[in-house]
Amino acid sequence: MDSIQIKKDLQFINELESRLEKDGTFSSWELFSMAYEAEITTSSPTFTGLKALEYLPHVTFLEHQIKAAETAIELMNGRAILADEVGLGKTIEAGLILKEYMVRGLVNNALILVPASLVSQWERELNEKFYIPAVAHRKNYSWDQNVIISSLDTAKRSPNRENILEMEYDFILIDEAHKLKNHKTKNYEFVQSLKKKYCLLLTATPVQNQLIEVFNLISILKPGHLGNYESFLDRYGKDRKNIKQDAYLKQLIQKVMIRNTRKATALNQTKRNIETVWIEFSNEEMEVYKELEATTQNFSTFSKITYLRELCSSREACFLSLKKSIEEYGDNPIVQNIMEKIGRLPHHAKAKRVVDIMKEVGDEKVIIFTEYRASQLYLQWYLQQHGFKSVPFRGGFKRSKKDWMKQLFKDHVQVLIATEAGGEGINLQFCNHLINYDLPWNPMRVEQRIGRIHRYGQEKDVQIYNFAIKETMEEHIMTLLYEKINLFEQVIGNLDDILADLNINSMESEIEKIYAESNSIGEVKIKLDNLTSIIEHSLGEQEAERYGNH
Amino acid sequence: MAITNLNQFLHDYFTNHHCQILTNQDGVLQIQLTEEMDRAIMNRPFYWHYIKKIGRDGEPMTLTLITNPEKREAEKGEWIHFGSPRLQQLIRHLKENERYTKLFQQVTTTKNTALYPWLVTNLKVSYRGKHKKDEIISIGLQLVTGNMKLEMMNHLKTLPLQATISDYCYTISPMIKIQSGFKRIESVILNYIENQTHEWAQDSLKTLNEELKTLRHFYQDEEHSEQMNKEMEAIKERYSPIISIETINGGIFYLLN
Repeated sequence: MDSIQIKKDLQFINELESRLEKDGTFSSWELFSMAYEAEITTSSPTFTGLKALEYLPHVTFLEHQIKAAETAIELMNGRAILADEVGLGKTIEAGLILKEYMVRGLVNNALILVPASLVSQWERELNEKFYIPAVAHRKNYSWDQNVIISSLDTAKRSPNRENILEMEYDFILIDEAHKLKNHKTKNYEFVQSLKKKYCLLLTATPVQNQLIEVFNLISILKPGHLGNYESFLDRYGKDRKNIKQDAYLKQLIQKVMIRNTRKATALNQTKRNIETVWIEFSNEEMEVYKELEATTQNFSTFSKITYLRELCSSREACFLSLKKSIEEYGDNPIVQNIMEKIGRLPHHAKAKRVVDIMKEVGDEKVIIFTEYRASQLYLQWYLQQHGFKSVPFRGGFKRSKKDWMKQLFKDHVQVLIATEAGGEGINLQFCNHLINYDLPWNPMRVEQRIGRIHRYGQEKDVQIYNFAIKETMEEHIMTLLYEKINLFEQVIGNLDDILADLNINSMESEIEKIYAESNSIGEVKIKLDNLTSIIEHSLGEQEAERYGNH
Repeated sequence: MAITNLNQFLHDYFTNHHCQILTNQDGVLQIQLTEEMDRAIMNRPFYWHYIKKIGRDGEPMTLTLITNPEKREAEKGEWIHFGSPRLQQLIRHLKENERYTKLFQQVTTTKNTALYPWLVTNLKVSYRGKHKKDEIISIGLQLVTGNMKLEMMNHLKTLPLQATISDYCYTISPMIKIQSGFKRIESVILNYIENQTHEWAQDSLKTLNEELKTLRHFYQDEEHSEQMNKEMEAIKERYSPIISIETINGGIFYLLN
């Protein structure tokens, strides 16, 4: 009892006395008792349970989201890593947690740090969905607003940095927290020096490479939870395989991390229908492709791979790259010859197929992903010719432009054409057709693309069309990588763990290496096959011993 | 005594603030605000400033509040539920403005009748450690005999109360000053708190100590002591058990006994 501090009310009785003396104003019985009722209604009579749910009758929460919020508050005492797979509603969980703390009067001011491209989305979600009066930071705003949202980059710059470090925040949230995995970076040092009570770190890919990254993330929340830096390195080294081997370590991590997987949640309700769309090059196109492939002239192997991939996407993409190479390395008759032939090619076989699909889907919304900007522009123009309006979307767009494009897509146009960089952080669950116009060589990026539409809030089954041109590199990638490991059907939340285990930093450069170092197509196929066999094997192994809470 | 019927609550709130109810049907309530209420809740100070400056009366707005979820698409208006910003605003308004009262029991009599003074306080006791809960206690203290009553609001609800004293009634002067009356109530509450076991606090302290220990292990070198102190403060802030006693509202009630 001695260790409990007691705060008494010193003000009330003085004020009452002075009002009685001066015959001041008094409340009527009706309003007086209504104020009492209101207080009963808004108070929290138990330590546990989510009071906030009563305040949000218009939001349908999924079971795993409620469970996650309860766990973060009741078991983790408000410091947690939310590491659900893409599209399971981490934002919803975080909003619910913040709301609960605000309803209980435990949080009055909060700082929300998110990627610049997501600031306005967070602002909207918190306001509209949670009635949390959050404001995005603008120039010359003060940092002591109740709930303020900013990008980490803005926040860490002077003079913002100094102002923020002065503040004592009740609640800090960091979205895309995997960017904090290195403890030697400015970002990390900044976040660690924030004064905070409760803290949530959101990330879909908590353990991308090394165990020490997990250590660094957890050290923001609970320094010492996994020991100190040196002892941790001594004991576990840098190899993240140890997570699985060391049950104790796993347990420790689970004390601060919540990870829901699609498999374990109710989100499986909407299905993804995957369709591989095989496309054949026209004779002219195939001729140019073969010629380019056979050229031994001048290009480094890596750029040749790029040109070939580009040709599979659009004439324009390949043409522009070749033109650039001439500008850089001087004129070259062989390249000129190929460029001339590209210039004479008919419309791209894939673009024609897009139009066919557009005709099939009626007036439903379609999102198209391509790797190349030139293809993006070309597709926009080509669709326009066939009467389909589209808007472009790129990672480089300003925040306001992204919002605007998304809104146009939602309300006015049928198609959104996005390049890779546009993949992260936009939610388009009102759309349920997705065309992978060309496939990235990194399967995680495909998952992120699909995650844009197959996510919390999607009401229909999702239709995915994967384009691949026969007898080209695309065929190898499709059959040997994607189809073999069944990557589209099962969500590949574990894949990044597996790649890290296998010491593969980037799938993309691994494949490039295979192409570059092989002398024949046959050799490429064998090597690709070997690669996927290993991945397949590890996937099977992981099925049983799943890392995370489920 | 929590709010259960939102429509009734809103109706009572606005009629008690002298606003006219235009219609009230099927959970759709239409209210003509008074100038005072418009200024209090509609957040348009510039309008009122401007209108007064040009010497006009101004037009208070009308509000349509929908409590029936089935009507929220069909009608134009604000959907009110427990989390809606409007309800939160009204509740805040109530809590800020209805803290003090002085009331008399209504008596119909032709004989001289004495009314006894009661100090009534509605208290919110909050227990905060790892987690938080609130307990609401309503206590009345008769200021002549020192008699104390719990659940005082429930008792008062059964009596007719008004702001002025009824004819033929007179008030008895208190023997106990209200300041010392308040102290008596406070000591009863403190005693009540003292007699609880407070597992929640022990639990919090245990976590507090564990986390401090963990933290010291992390920062073994001297050079990070500033960072460590900051983290320690945060841990203490988060887990130190604290009980606060706040007065929601209260006042003097003159009752027959």
